Amino acid sequence: MKELPVRTEGAFAKRTNPLAHVFDEFVRFCRSHSLFMLHYCTGCGAIELPPAMTSRFDMERLGIQPMVTPRQADILLVTGYVSVKTLKRIILTYEQMPAPKYVIGICSCTVNGGMYWQSYATAKVLADYLPVDLYIAGCMPRPEAVVSGMRKLMGLIKTGKAESWKDYYRRYDHYLGNQQALFGERWQTPTDVLGEAQQYGLHGPETEGEHTALLQQVQQPLIPHRMRLK
Amino acid sequence: MMALIVELVLMPAVAFVVGLAMLLMMRKIAAKIQRRVGPPFFQPLYDVVKFFGKQTQISHGLIHDVGIIVAVGGYIAAETLIPVPGMTGIADRTDVITLIYFLMVPSLGMALAAGQCANPNASIGISRALTAMLAYDIPFVIVIFGMSWMYGTTNLVQMVEYQQAHGWGLFQAPLLAFAGLFALQGMLGKQPFEIYVAPAEIATGPMVEMGGKYLGSLIVMQSFSLYTAGILYTTLFLGGGVTWIDFLVKAFLVVAIPMTIAFQFPRYRAEQMLGSLWKWPVLAGLLGLAVVMWS
Ligand code: SF4
Repeated sequence: MKELPVRTEGAFAKRTNPLAHVFDEFVRFCRSHSLFMLHYCTGCGAIELPPAMTSRFDMERLGIQPMVTPRQADILLVTGYVSVKTLKRIILTYEQMPAPKYVIGICSCTVNGGMYWQSYATAKVLADYLPVDLYIAGCMPRPEAVVSGMRKLMGLIKTGKAESWKDYYRRYDHYLGNQQALFGERWQTPTDVLGEAQQYGLHGPETEGEHTALLQQVQQPLIPHRMRLK
Repeated sequence: MMALIVELVLMPAVAFVVGLAMLLMMRKIAAKIQRRVGPPFFQPLYDVVKFFGKQTQISHGLIHDVGIIVAVGGYIAAETLIPVPGMTGIADRTDVITLIYFLMVPSLGMALAAGQCANPNASIGISRALTAMLAYDIPFVIVIFGMSWMYGTTNLVQMVEYQQAHGWGLFQAPLLAFAGLFALQGMLGKQPFEIYVAPAEIATGPMVEMGGKYLGSLIVMQSFSLYTAGILYTTLFLGGGVTWIDFLVKAFLVVAIPMTIAFQFPRYRAEQMLGSLWKWPVLAGLLGLAVVMWS
């Protein structure tokens, strides 16, 4: 299996056409009004999403819709405490989402560990492992709070401030270091983050470091499973 | 010649805009049934622009790209084969049989595209989509055959002229009209027959690996499919349209019926779908065919 080519539209090239900014503005506006979310229901906070999506609060009037696969989604909603095992899946999911992508941490547990602060099995601060755009705190936040958080995110996208997905590429070494501290030194994901950083032109001084060096040492190439009938 | 080229460009363009409006109508109907407000007016446009504006566009290879183009292109070609008020495109030179072939192309294109994604959910989705095609095409072909027999032509333009002179096909062959409506439900892949999308079960099936412009194209394709279904039914049974206004009113009404039914229903299993689509519409269609052939 060849590596999947990731193509970008050269969005970071210098714009010379004066109308390009109008166009960018328009795309940003559309982006902010069409948010497909992948709700990764990790903890109890997930229970507040159904009322936020259905008749009572109706997120669809803001253009927010649930989606079922990471490829189709824009927002990764992490709803509640994140156990170490779950965090691995969240990172795998996050890396598969197409940029621009946004992470929202719902519930106090994603902010600082919340009431699971003393637990040995949960990751405390989500922002250590993934670039979080927005937290919606509360144990658990009411649907009103979720909706107002979403509106905040829409505002950030419209003004072009919700760019933390770039941070993941720019400071990959930092995020990877935290991930390795939790999952052990042999941690790796199928996504070639360093390659993507190059591709987007986001490869900065902090993208590579000792942790990525370690990753490159232990990284094993992806081999497709042999198909066989038992 | 020039006029023909203009028509060939204009017909898919109109289809695109009207199709997006139908997509909005579908979501509004769902919202109203669930007592929600529903999406804003330009929501389908926002979605499409957003998907095409994504920075990551993950392609799984050549066939993935080609398949999507085939899927959308199949519909673009089909639009030029159905007459609309004021424009006939190449509809007067071809017939409804060509159209049937063109309407199968998008499913095959999607099968190609989803096949290269090598995602098990996509494979299950595609096998279900092709099963569904088998299910709804039989009543659909019976309906087309019956209506062609009744009008004495397979040419859609002549069918419209016949109906405008002798009354709508709906009143002359109500059984076939019923069968057609039933087949439409399957053709649009709407709820009782939604087996190949099934978001909660196989994660939207063929669309599972599509993101960015690929999913955007599929949204465009869906809007084309709604439009095609609406105007094809209007042309076959509701006498086409004299002006754009009555034509679009009819087309939107036709599409609204399956939508309204859809959001009342859960999903059938594959064999239940085959069972119901091969039983009721086929029975009604064959009965209608007999009536049409005798009278
Ligand atoms: S903040 Fe409260 S409601 Fe949310 S996941 Fe933690 S314990 Fe559960």
